[in-house]
Amino acid sequence: MKKLISALTVGALSLAATGCSSASGTQSADSFPENGKSIELVVAFSPGGPVDTAARLIQPVLEKELGTNVEVVNKPGAGGQIGYTAIANAKPDGYTIGSVGSPSIVVIPLDESRGAAFSREDLQPLARQVVDPLVIAVQPDSPYSTLKDLLEASKAKPGEINATTTGQMGGEHFAIAQINESTGAAFSPVHFSEGASQASTAFLGKHVGVLVGNVSEVVDLTKQGKAKVLGIMDSKRSDILPEVPTFSEQGYEVISATARGYAAPAGLPDAVAKKLEDAMQAAIENEEVIEKMDNLGLTTSFQNSQEYGEFWAKQEEDYKAVLPLVQAK
Amino acid sequence: MGVVNELILGFAEAMTWQNLLFAFVGCLLGTVIGVLPGIGPVAGIALLIPLTLNLDPAGSIIMLCAIFYGTTYGGTITSVLLNTPGEAASAITAIDGYQMTKMGRAGVALTIAAFGSFIGGSIATVGLVLAAKPLGSLGLLIGPPEFFALVVVGISLLVALAGRSMVRALISGALGLLISMVGIDPVMGAPRFTFSMERLLDGVSFVAVIVGVFGLSEILSYRPGKKPVSVHAPGFRSLLPTRQDWKRSTPSFARGTGIGFAMGLIPGMTGSVSSLLSYGAEKKFSKHRAELGHGAIEGVAGPETANNAHANGALIPLFTLGIPASPTIAVLMGAFLQQGLTPGPTLFAEHGTLAWTIIASLFIGNVLLLVLNVPLVGLWTSILRVPYPILAGLILMFMVVGAYTINFSVFDVFVMIIFGLVGVGLRHLDIPLAPMVLTLVLGPLMERSLRESLDISHGSFIIFAERPITMVLLVLALLIIVSPLLKLRKPAALAVDDPES
Repeated sequence: MKKLISALTVGALSLAATGCSSASGTQSADSFPENGKSIELVVAFSPGGPVDTAARLIQPVLEKELGTNVEVVNKPGAGGQIGYTAIANAKPDGYTIGSVGSPSIVVIPLDESRGAAFSREDLQPLARQVVDPLVIAVQPDSPYSTLKDLLEASKAKPGEINATTTGQMGGEHFAIAQINESTGAAFSPVHFSEGASQASTAFLGKHVGVLVGNVSEVVDLTKQGKAKVLGIMDSKRSDILPEVPTFSEQGYEVISATARGYAAPAGLPDAVAKKLEDAMQAAIENEEVIEKMDNLGLTTSFQNSQEYGEFWAKQEEDYKAVLPLVQAK
Repeated sequence: MGVVNELILGFAEAMTWQNLLFAFVGCLLGTVIGVLPGIGPVAGIALLIPLTLNLDPAGSIIMLCAIFYGTTYGGTITSVLLNTPGEAASAITAIDGYQMTKMGRAGVALTIAAFGSFIGGSIATVGLVLAAKPLGSLGLLIGPPEFFALVVVGISLLVALAGRSMVRALISGALGLLISMVGIDPVMGAPRFTFSMERLLDGVSFVAVIVGVFGLSEILSYRPGKKPVSVHAPGFRSLLPTRQDWKRSTPSFARGTGIGFAMGLIPGMTGSVSSLLSYGAEKKFSKHRAELGHGAIEGVAGPETANNAHANGALIPLFTLGIPASPTIAVLMGAFLQQGLTPGPTLFAEHGTLAWTIIASLFIGNVLLLVLNVPLVGLWTSILRVPYPILAGLILMFMVVGAYTINFSVFDVFVMIIFGLVGVGLRHLDIPLAPMVLTLVLGPLMERSLRESLDISHGSFIIFAERPITMVLLVLALLIIVSPLLKLRKPAALAVDDPES
């Protein structure tokens, strides 16, 4: 409120000073953001979820860096499609930015049946905040004690070993398809579209033998000895599960992760983009923000816009390769 | 010991000032809904769900539960003071309650009713505590096939809710299933019935549908009757029952609790059945049965205890098995699902603390209801002096705002309005709304668990025959479906004027 009042006061004063000449009109990049004009940070998911929480954590730091109000606006629906469409179709003036997450942001424009009104080219990445790699785990009393055992067993009995996902074309489903494709194993996905907690409950009840999930989700299960994690689909080991070897250490080239970051509609003026990117970096690398993210089990892994763009392109390529395998028939 | 510990933890959580506030506000709103003659408990809860959507899960469910049992008390007030029951479960109370008002003993009737509600509600909640652990511990045994069978049991209750015409009930149920199909197929990801509208990819919003079908259509089809409202607010002194009143009420409290609790457990029974049966029991067993109908305290104490015991008892199948036993509970279950909580055995496995917090809050809510209602009787009666057009306007505004805030989108407001008109149409055609809510809530769960099961079995239906729990449940569902043939349904006389079904 105080901020609003001071912003209004400043706005009124500057109007008075310029004799109401041209407060609006063409906006020069140097003046971004204009005094008193707030920036919308669109979150394509409901309030309270991890994406929303992350956005609300960086919001105060962004405000400080940019010197204007940043409003987190939730536009949930259709697995992110509604909010993403809003971001992609907004005016590229820097006053609308948004949270994006993979696989949804990558997959929605790739999947024709969804009829998305935007494509990859309509978005320009600003920064990556989090990478949450996927892991594969089995029951603690399972006969398989290495990734090799499990994959060989699945090869021997194609289609018989079930593995959890959080829905058709979700990150886990892509991971399973990638594993099947590159290792010759043949896991059958069981889709728990309700989400990760449903999937892990079915795993705990031994209704499904293999759990595929994010590091942040299996940490607690591992600590309680209720799951044996056999491999992590990342280029390096995780700080949270340091004892778990990566897939590539065990001779299989599979990398799969859920990633979250921020993007803007494509075509921002360079100076505006630069300002937003710098503010993003400051906010994401803010120590307090990092600590709070850690408490949520999410490891901060900042990438600037260029790196994030490359990462995004790589994910797009990976997903495209297995897309026919995961699409509804 | 485990149960006691967890319950104490639950109390600790439920006693935070926010949660106490939610319980308090819930009781208050519930009572208001009970008092207002235009709005029944189903519509009332449906109306208020949007209000709770942005709260955290514990707060939101605590508040909705409080609204739920608050309505059962609110109806009593108008029954006793005005001879116009606020809702069906309190209709029978009007007989002796209003006679007592004429004798200047309205305060006594209301106080006894409040105590009866408190006793019935609390004892039923103890039953929930005792049942929760053994049934809840089955949680991990319930995999997708078992869950599917449970949902089938729930859907079979359609038979019990059918009322007079089975065909009409089936039409309503099929409509609910159809609506629940809209949106992205939960397993294969293909869009269904979305007509290329992005907004429909998520399906039609449950809350908007419920608010429309129950709330809006109720307002739209309201016909003001000729009710001369004459209110005598009782003075404070007349609130206090005599020792004689207490002595006569005690056996009625006991009978009411027993009847209400047992009926609450049986799926398909509504609160009005409990209160009617309890009145019947008083007529048969009370020492003062001759006075019934002429202002006997038993005629208030019995039914009022029974309908609150019923309300709390009916939460047992919901919490432990995920079966909504009445339309009101089905709406409540929808609210659980909105918060990402699936009621049933897995609730205790996945969200143990939360489940116990809610149970603890039921005890607290029953106390709040008692504390709240005795002193506020005068206030409640004055609500009835607000002219209906103003009241309806306020409620309409509330509904539009509520629908908008679901997704912060006007789309849901239109969904609400369209389904309001659908609701009016259904009412005109005499098609019951309850089966529709039931299938609307259970349809997606049934589809999902069926397809998860088939994923697990690689497409073979044998999986349902291989598992003992699944078999038992499916046979049970079959029994419920054929029960009308065996005449095990609730007596036809009760079904006719039961607005809950």
